[in-house]
Amino acid sequence: MSDLETTERVLPSNAPGEDVAFEILGDGDFPTAEMSLSIGPAHPATHGVFRIVLDLDGERVRGARPVIGYMHRGFEKLAEYRDYRQIAALTNRHDWLSGFCNELGVAIAVESMLELEVPDRAQWIRMLMAEWNRILNHLMFIGSYALELGAITPMFYAFREREDIQHLMESATGGRLHFTYNQPGGVKIDLPKGFLKRSAEISKVTRERFDDYVDLVLGNEIFQGRTVGVGPLPQDVALSLGITGPTLHATGIAEDSRVTEPYLKYGDIDVEVPLGENGDAFDRFYVLLHRIRASLDIIDQIHDHMPAGPVNSKLPKMVKAPEGAIYVRTENPLGQLGYWLESDGGRTPWRFKMRTPSFSNVQAIPYLMQGALLPDAISILGSVFFVVGDIDR
Amino acid sequence: MSDVLARRDRALSPEETEELLRDRLGDGLQRTVLEYGVFTVWVEQDAWVQAATLCRDEPLLAYDMFDNLFGIDAREEGFDVVAVLYSTSTGNRIALRTRCAGGRDEPTCPSITDIYRGADWMERETWDMFGVDFPGHPQIGPRILTVENFEGWPLRKDFHLASRAAKPWPGVKEPAELDEDGNVIERVPHIGDAPGPYDLDKAMAEQAQAMNPRPELDGPEDDDDADDEPAEVEAGPDDDPTVSGAEKAEARRKAQAEARAKKAAERAGGDGDEGAAQLDQDVYDQLIAEGKSERIARSKAKAAYIKAQRAKEGDA
Repeated sequence: MSDLETTERVLPSNAPGEDVAFEILGDGDFPTAEMSLSIGPAHPATHGVFRIVLDLDGERVRGARPVIGYMHRGFEKLAEYRDYRQIAALTNRHDWLSGFCNELGVAIAVESMLELEVPDRAQWIRMLMAEWNRILNHLMFIGSYALELGAITPMFYAFREREDIQHLMESATGGRLHFTYNQPGGVKIDLPKGFLKRSAEISKVTRERFDDYVDLVLGNEIFQGRTVGVGPLPQDVALSLGITGPTLHATGIAEDSRVTEPYLKYGDIDVEVPLGENGDAFDRFYVLLHRIRASLDIIDQIHDHMPAGPVNSKLPKMVKAPEGAIYVRTENPLGQLGYWLESDGGRTPWRFKMRTPSFSNVQAIPYLMQGALLPDAISILGSVFFVVGDIDR
Repeated sequence: MSDVLARRDRALSPEETEELLRDRLGDGLQRTVLEYGVFTVWVEQDAWVQAATLCRDEPLLAYDMFDNLFGIDAREEGFDVVAVLYSTSTGNRIALRTRCAGGRDEPTCPSITDIYRGADWMERETWDMFGVDFPGHPQIGPRILTVENFEGWPLRKDFHLASRAAKPWPGVKEPAELDEDGNVIERVPHIGDAPGPYDLDKAMAEQAQAMNPRPELDGPEDDDDADDEPAEVEAGPDDDPTVSGAEKAEARRKAQAEARAKKAAERAGGDGDEGAAQLDQDVYDQLIAEGKSERIARSKAKAAYIKAQRAKEGDA
C-alpha cells in the first residue's frame, strides 16, 4: 500500500531550462488492492494442465501456490503390475519430451540387478540416442519459452531442427515421441544402414544453425529485458529443494550425473556442463541453449567411438530381479531422473519410485515468484522448464 | 568441473560413514545395507530427524542436496519411509530408511521439511499415496496428486488396481506366466505384427503365406457368383470408352476372378463340359466370328445363356 504522506518533486532531465516539474504524491507506489489470481489449469503459459494460484498485491506477487495432479496417471502403481520389460513403455510417457532418456534409467536398473552384460555397441547407441533426445527436448523449450515472452520466430526455427532429428530417431526406433527402443540387455534392434552418416550430417547442420538461436534469442534486447535478474535462485536453496538440470546449472553448480556418476560410457568422453552465474531466468535459458552445443560435441565424439558388434544380449524367458533395491540416477534433459526399484524377487517390481526432475524443480516456483511482478511471473514459470506429465506422473 | 571432482578425495567410504553415524546416533542406527551401489542406513523412528540433520550439517558428510523421499509398503509391519540424500562435494549418496510407527493403521513419520525444503512436496506425496502422516509438516493436505475427494491410499498393496481386478491381463496370458507344470507359456505373436529389417519382413511374409494359403476357389460355386451380375462383365473392360476407370477396374477384376475360377474348374476335371454347356453357343460363335477375344465371347455367351434361362423360368 502506498504512503500518501510524502511528496517528491521531479525535474525532467530532457527539458533543460524549462520550468516544468512533476510532483509525485506519496512514495511513488500506486494504491493497490490484494487479489488472488488463478492461472490454469488450462492456460497456454503452463504448457499442460497445471494450475498456479497467485496472491497479488497490485502487480506484485506475494505468494504462489502451484496446484498439481491434474495429470496423475498412477505410473508407480501400474509399474507394480507389469513385467520388467514392460515398464519401459510406462516410463517413456511421464516426460513425453525425453522418452528415450526415461527408458534408459529402468533398463540400467534391471540390468544392474540381473548383472546382465550390455554389449558396447548398445551402450554407445543408447548414448547417441539419449543426446539426440536431449537436443529435441531443449529445442522445444527454446521455442516455447521465447513464445511465452512474445517471440514467435524461434519456435519455427526450433521445429525445423526438431523435424530432422525426429526423422533420424524414427528411422532407428520407429517412434517420434515414445521410442521404447531400450530393453534390458541392450537396444531392440541395430541402427539402420546410413544412420551414422545422417546423424553426422544433422549434427553439422544443427551446429551451424546454433548461432541463429544465440543471435535470435540471447542477443535480443527485449528477451534480455524480460529475463536478466528475474527470479534468481541461490545455490543453497536450489540444493535444499533438490533442483537439478539446467535450473541447477544456472546457479553455477556443475552437478551433472554424466560427469559425477558416469553411467553408460560417459566416462570415456568429455562432457561439458555449461554453467550460469546468477541463477536467474536468463542464465537458465543460457544453460539450456548451450547444452545443445554440449550435446552436439558429445554426439560427434560418439560417432568417432561407435564400435561394431551385437546390440543386445539374450534375456532369460522370465525376467526376475533378485531381492533388493537399487537407485539409478540418469541425467535427463530437465534434470536428474531417479528410479528406485525395489524387488521382492517376483516377476514385477515391489516398488518403483520415479523421482522426476520436474516435480522437484517446480517446487522452486513459490520461492522464485515471491515478490516478483506479475509479468515476470510468466517469465519465471517458463524458465523453470518442466513437463506437466513429469510432475504428475 | 575439475574442482568438483577433486573434492572427491575427501569422500568418506560407506564403512567410515557408518562409523561416524553410529558414533553420533548410538542405538538410533539399526543397520546398514550396501547393495547395487546404494548405501542404505536403517534408523529408528526417533532418530530420523536427528539423522537427517546430521547428514546435512556434519562437515564430513555434507549431504547438501535433497534428492528424494518416498514410502514403501512393508507388508504387515506397516510402511517404510526412505529419504535419499546426495552430496555435491563428495559425490556420495545415502538412503536413510525408517519404519513408520503405528503399523498399518496409523503410520506416522516425523517431518524433515525444516531440514530440507524439498521434503515438502515429497512428504505430501507420500501421505497421498500411503497415508503416512508427517507430524511437523506445514500443510500435508489437500491431496497433492490424486483428486481432493479421493478415498483410499493408492500405493498400499491392499489397494487393488481396478483394471487388473476386472481383467487379469489384456491378452491371452500374462507375459512369462507359468502353466500348471511350471513351464513358461510363450505368447505366439499373430502374423503381421513384427516390424523389422527387410529379410525378417520377407521371412514373416512367407511364413504368413505358408500358414494362411489363399482359399482355393470353388469352381462351379464361383461361376454362380460371377453370374449374378452379368451385365457388368458384358460391358467389356476394354471396348467401351464411356465406362469410368473404376468400373473398368471392377470389370477386369471380375473377369480375372472368372478366369481363375475357370482354371480351377478345369483342374477339378469333368466340370469343363458342364461349364461349356452353360454357354449360348450361337452367341459365342457369332462373337468369335466378329473377332472378339475368347474371354469376352465366353462371358457374353454365358450372360446370354443365363438371360435365356431366366426368361424360360419366367415363362414357366
